[in-house]
Amino acid sequence: MQIKTLRRWNNALHRDIGYLCFGMTLIYAISGIVLNHFKSGDFLHPDYSKSFREYTVPLPKAGNADQTYVFSVLDKLHERDHYKSYITGEGYVQIFLTNGSVYVDLTNGQAQLETKTTRYVIKEFNMLHYNNLKKFYTWFSDLFAAGLITLAITGLFILRGKNGIIGRGAWLTAIGIIIPALFLIFYM
Amino acid sequence: MKNISFFTFVILLFLISACNQGNDKSSGIKADTARVAVLTFERQADTLVNKAVIIEGTVLHTCKHGGKRMFIVDGTDSIRVEITAGEKITKFDESLIGSRVKVYGTLKEERIDAKYLNEWEAEVKKPAENHDAGVHSGAKGHEDQGVQDKLDQINALRADLKNSGKDHLSFYSIEAMNFSVIK
Repeated sequence: MQIKTLRRWNNALHRDIGYLCFGMTLIYAISGIVLNHFKSGDFLHPDYSKSFREYTVPLPKAGNADQTYVFSVLDKLHERDHYKSYITGEGYVQIFLTNGSVYVDLTNGQAQLETKTTRYVIKEFNMLHYNNLKKFYTWFSDLFAAGLITLAITGLFILRGKNGIIGRGAWLTAIGIIIPALFLIFYM
Repeated sequence: MKNISFFTFVILLFLISACNQGNDKSSGIKADTARVAVLTFERQADTLVNKAVIIEGTVLHTCKHGGKRMFIVDGTDSIRVEITAGEKITKFDESLIGSRVKVYGTLKEERIDAKYLNEWEAEVKKPAENHDAGVHSGAKGHEDQGVQDKLDQINALRADLKNSGKDHLSFYSIEAMNFSVIK
């Protein structure tokens, strides 16, 4: 096969696999940014954004945190409509809400209201990124990874001349390999 | 125009699938399944290792790293039972926290000995910690533990191991095959 024909096939392969991989690339890239920052501690949860507010609430009169006490706390916080359930622990009560929770320290009446909001779409992207679906999705995501490898290799040979892989392209490709290698050398 | 309509259809399909998720399935339960309770779990567990069990409880915590495990309690958090997601369960979503669930699965035992604790300690002392190493307690903030907290936990387990008079400590969990939200 002539070089010209090979290049034509290379470019066609790169173009069509590029179209096919568009959706999954965006999914992995967007959830990758989120999971990256979650692992770095910038987010408390990858699927939910959370906010916290502090309150002081009265302590239970009889000493026990029962349902009546739980409702009185929720009334003070205007969260009764969101009530789900509660549990007690040593020196605290935790009240679960449909949109968060309330943690009450029974030694001093300090309450922390945690409110969470679902990051719709990102949550689904994360589910795919973590491969929570398992089964056939494992095969599909392997296929996508193979597609990315093909894109990377065919991408090297699209251009000819001084901007191609024997010119400027070689330097840029080398930089792209050296940077992660340097991270490994300095952080391992 | 046709292409734009098709592209819009694809985006809509994704959004619909995002709103249509669920793990609740309660079929395929074996006849010899043992019923266990959260409050008596530790006492019952050693006789039911690798057997099918059903348990009910309130979800206290779900794992933030992919939702592969959750902890259930019953009224108080003094006893927590760890539930791990089996092959058929996609994840334990955080929206389950505070819900009463019925879980069907297999009771599993994890044995921790001196060698395991030494390896865990070595891993904790590395700059990049491996989240999967160690024992998950389900306690508030346990996923945000620092190195010193983990080392304290390891030393506490070493003391428990010494006091037990055995060569290992047993930790029990349930590998869920399916679960349903009761309320």
